[in-house]
Amino acid sequence: MPNVAEQPNAIASYYEGLGKGVFRAITCKACGKYTFPPTGCCEHCGSWDVEQTDLSGEATLLFATHNISPACHPRFEKIAPYVYGHMRLNEGPIVQAIVLGVEPAPHDLKRLFEKGPVRVKAETLQMEDLPVLAFRIRS
Amino acid sequence: MRNKLRERAVISGVGCSRFGNLLETPEIKGMSIQELTASAVKEALDDAGLTGQDVDAVFAGNAMVHSSQVPGTYTQLSKWTGTQFKSGVHFEAQCSTTNVGAALAAMSIAAGVYDTVLVYGLETTRTKVKGYSPYEREPISNQQTWLWTDMAVNQAYGVPQGYDIFSTYNGLVALGYCRKHGLSIEDFDRGMFELCRTRRLHGAMNRKANIQEKLEDRAAREGFSDPYAYWQSDTHNPFVSWPSRLLSLVTTADGASAMVITRADLAKGGKSQPVEFKGFGVSYSDLPWYGEDPTYWEFDKRAVDSAFDMAGIKAGDIDYLHTHDCSHISGICTAETIGYLEAGKGLAAAREGRLRFDGDRPMSTHGGRHAFGHAWGASAGTDTYEAVLQMRGQAGPRQIAKVPDICVIHTHGYAMIGTVIVLGSL
Repeated sequence: MPNVAEQPNAIASYYEGLGKGVFRAITCKACGKYTFPPTGCCEHCGSWDVEQTDLSGEATLLFATHNISPACHPRFEKIAPYVYGHMRLNEGPIVQAIVLGVEPAPHDLKRLFEKGPVRVKAETLQMEDLPVLAFRIRS
Repeated sequence: MRNKLRERAVISGVGCSRFGNLLETPEIKGMSIQELTASAVKEALDDAGLTGQDVDAVFAGNAMVHSSQVPGTYTQLSKWTGTQFKSGVHFEAQCSTTNVGAALAAMSIAAGVYDTVLVYGLETTRTKVKGYSPYEREPISNQQTWLWTDMAVNQAYGVPQGYDIFSTYNGLVALGYCRKHGLSIEDFDRGMFELCRTRRLHGAMNRKANIQEKLEDRAAREGFSDPYAYWQSDTHNPFVSWPSRLLSLVTTADGASAMVITRADLAKGGKSQPVEFKGFGVSYSDLPWYGEDPTYWEFDKRAVDSAFDMAGIKAGDIDYLHTHDCSHISGICTAETIGYLEAGKGLAAAREGRLRFDGDRPMSTHGGRHAFGHAWGASAGTDTYEAVLQMRGQAGPRQIAKVPDICVIHTHGYAMIGTVIVLGSL
């Protein structure tokens, strides 16, 4: 695994990984914690001594709501309104991302809310110009 | 960190424009952004009994340069505000801009660098420069406003992957609040209705507010005899991020605000009653703004603790509070974090009328971000403006009966700068 400091562009590396279904993060050699998505520095202790790692994509969906249409960003106009969720990755980081597998309707979201936290799995949602992170509710 | 101001600083003058739309709103219709800003600055300088040549430095705030198109604000506005040849800087802390400016001014005074500083903020979130015209403006679409505004949010991973302010700031926080406190979605909705009703009541009593119409009056105008039926109407008040509705959100506005900060001893015997700038706290965070619990924001807690420590106050000392309420539910969570409202009881307090100007926990008596409106870099200054009016007993029909001695103002600078300032009577 290359050292992050040797990566010419961590952001490009993240999206290139995402395009292949790989979820890139960094871990800190000083405190051992994850920073996701990746930067060149530990978000917890500030150490620069970090290394790239890949995440499992396994997570727990804590809460889910929806956005508006038209979306705030033109990239997402075609899929808005979409469900947007608050997740805890198995490795620890908290992430917010698009959620697949439930309709962005109050009735469906209320049923999901009443069910409580559910398991989700990360996948790549290919937009026209960029692969983006999404999580699908496990059936 | 010593976290002390070595010399006392006061706000000796405040000013604020009407908030609205430069193309439509009567008091500001047809104004240039230069004139809009100058109107707020003139009010603040007049209030302090000064001219622009009496101040030592000018801190000029503007966040969304795309619509204002006045970078280098200090020089571009200098001849409109009478401040030529002063020391100055253009800065931004997004929606905390003007209060961060007040903190910077207080620090510079306490450090012995300046005696008097003019802080102002300007923003246009409803209109933008039309083509290359030096004076014509045109409306901004909702999507364009948020696209520009969201440039203050994580541009590496957040916005590119579908970050949505309405979800992150409203719906997810609302669900976290309901689950944490065992509140039903139905009770949440009713509480949000009452909170909006309170804010719009305050706006209706404020000649400078963006919206000056009570929720009940708006409902009646739309043909509803029951305002709660209007609230629940998907046509008039749709979910923007279930279970949060449109009328629980910010309304955009063009506007400007200003304040004069000076040494306490210099303000004695001045034109207007000065208010002490007792302390401040600032703490920022990138996304995500919260951990597993969407109702607890660590950076806000740190900003609150820092400000209270500097000012030497406790939550029980607060007579008047404004929390950033771009999202009404987020504002309630912050008030609970501060300790002004009991945890999990904020919406119940709204339903009981306790948050009104005549309640025992008055909040956001100018109308907040929904009714007063939101002009990003100018808004924090309007929160301070309102607190100063309340502390002077000059808030007119919305005056809090027992004039506040201690006021706390919390703002969120997108995305996110938790900013807390503490004002006290001298």
